[in-house]
Amino acid sequence: MIDFLQLAITGLLTGGLYAMVGAAIVLVYKSTHVVSLAHGQFLAFGAFFFYIFITVLDLPFWAALPLTFLVAGAVGLAVERFSMRPLIGQPLFSAFLMTFAIFMTLDGIFQLILKGETRTLPRFLSAETLSVGGLNIPTGGMLSFGVALGMFFLLALFFRFTKVGLGMRATAEDHQLAQSTGISVRTVFSIVWIVSALVAAVAGISLARVMDIHYPLPWIGVKGLVVALFGGLDSLPGALLAGLILGILENLSAGYLDPLVGGGVGDVAAYVMLLLILLIKPFGLFGLKRIERI
Amino acid sequence: MLPCGVYNERYGQDMAVVRTKRHWGILILAIFFLYLFPVFNLQYFISLINYLCITIIIVLGLQIVTGFCGQVSFGQAGFMAIGAYTSAILTLKFGVSFWLALPLSGLSAAVIGLIGGAPSLRIKGFYLAMATLAIHFLTMWLIMHVEITGSTQGLHPAPPSIGDFQFDSDGRMYYIIVSVMLLMTYGAKNMMRTRLGRAFVAIRDNDLAAEVMGINLYRYKLLAFFISCFYAGIAGSLWAHWIQMVHPEQFTVLHAVWYVGMLIVGGMSLTAGAFFGVIFLRGLDELVMFSSPFLASTFPWLGTHPAASLGVTAFGLILMVFLIFEPRGIAHRWEIFKTSYRLYPFAY
Repeated sequence: MIDFLQLAITGLLTGGLYAMVGAAIVLVYKSTHVVSLAHGQFLAFGAFFFYIFITVLDLPFWAALPLTFLVAGAVGLAVERFSMRPLIGQPLFSAFLMTFAIFMTLDGIFQLILKGETRTLPRFLSAETLSVGGLNIPTGGMLSFGVALGMFFLLALFFRFTKVGLGMRATAEDHQLAQSTGISVRTVFSIVWIVSALVAAVAGISLARVMDIHYPLPWIGVKGLVVALFGGLDSLPGALLAGLILGILENLSAGYLDPLVGGGVGDVAAYVMLLLILLIKPFGLFGLKRIERI
Repeated sequence: MLPCGVYNERYGQDMAVVRTKRHWGILILAIFFLYLFPVFNLQYFISLINYLCITIIIVLGLQIVTGFCGQVSFGQAGFMAIGAYTSAILTLKFGVSFWLALPLSGLSAAVIGLIGGAPSLRIKGFYLAMATLAIHFLTMWLIMHVEITGSTQGLHPAPPSIGDFQFDSDGRMYYIIVSVMLLMTYGAKNMMRTRLGRAFVAIRDNDLAAEVMGINLYRYKLLAFFISCFYAGIAGSLWAHWIQMVHPEQFTVLHAVWYVGMLIVGGMSLTAGAFFGVIFLRGLDELVMFSSPFLASTFPWLGTHPAASLGVTAFGLILMVFLIFEPRGIAHRWEIFKTSYRLYPFAY
């Protein structure tokens, strides 16, 4: 029992981070109806820039963080400006393929600058663990979990109450319709790519604190997609819930099934889940079902 | 677009794949040259053409399911792996000859492909792309964790043979690979003028409308996956016996991604697109391979082995350029070019 709880809690804390990656993807989908593969790269680049600022340039934490946000936002904007904007008005599927092209381009650059090494972030948050009734809970993990929750709250407020947020939701419905009511689709695209790049960068920094910066880091983005799909592509609460469930399931299946089949279950669990979701409930837990007409 | 002065007078002419005498002449010359090529004994080009032909078979399969039927698949590398492993296991463990194992591996990949294609009955577009990606990862995980595939060790199938004659060199394997490639190309080209091909195109253009017109979506979508995976399986089997080595590293998700990229660059929905895409992107890859030692020595900050990462970056950039400026691919440009020279003295 205590094993089970320990696994579940560790999974829950990782799940919070997956939820953040999922949130970045949901953000893009909610406002532009583009499903983005590229956010795994924003995540990795965010973590890498943070690493550069904090260890190579030796800046203090409070200076490194805003600088990372600045650079991550700039990368998001540049990517949007040169690749997504020419596709406004094109079929959504080519926009999806474009995010995939962005993923590949940035993937190559990431491999190039990483040079196959593993970079470790200094443990800038406390690495202690808290013991509650025989369970070990890492305090740093709890902190990133708290950051994830806070970010979800802010994003929900943003979409519900601010004018920009409402404009984004309108853009998602129909680009032309939104434009005719005076919303600038271009501005919405720019804002959403910057904001989602920031969210991904936060997720990347939190993840890199736990698992180091090494090559497969961008592929965590695929897990973010699983989360976004499971929760429903246009639902932020769905992404949170799905992220937590994925984290717990992954950890539990790795903990209990790995000894039986000889490892690697944790990696494949996410894909099994993805397949099941797509077959049983393609629009996710809270996603809107699209009705098609000829 | 027919050349000036050529008219379709009979149904047969209208349906013909090769239309004029000049077409026939060019085709026969091209095939003749292709078969004569190993005589020149250019080792590098022979193995390159082998590689290209195998990739063309895979991308043709992808063309059928994605370009013709509109169901995006990121699982092509996984299905190729199934074909390669089936062929290797059949020849190594059960003593089946290559000539029987080749179609069998195609069939086995196709049957697994039916399972892989099952999600397409409920979902499409991006959702289907993700489902096939999941299937790829599951397939590769299974291959890594099953005893019979040799897991991380891989398998070493023997080269094919007729009697005592072993097809054990690039130049000898060349004939098998090129012949199979030509056969598969004819298959794909021919399919597009049958009832099956027309049903695929109808599903691609609008699947709801196609269903209303009386096309059985379940049947034709699954059939598209079946045929496409058959192509991938055949390519896998050829690959296994040419390289004489099967290993999970040869069928990563990156390979699947390259195949989709080749389709985009080459142009969906034209058989020629597979050829253009494969040759263009593989050419790019070779160029990066050749230039990377030079680049590494000129720009030391690139590291000592920039080939792989530079290749991926170039691939992504090319994909972006094509998506923005020519989403219909090189094949579309080729069509425009053909139209213009056939109508040459006239403007349009």
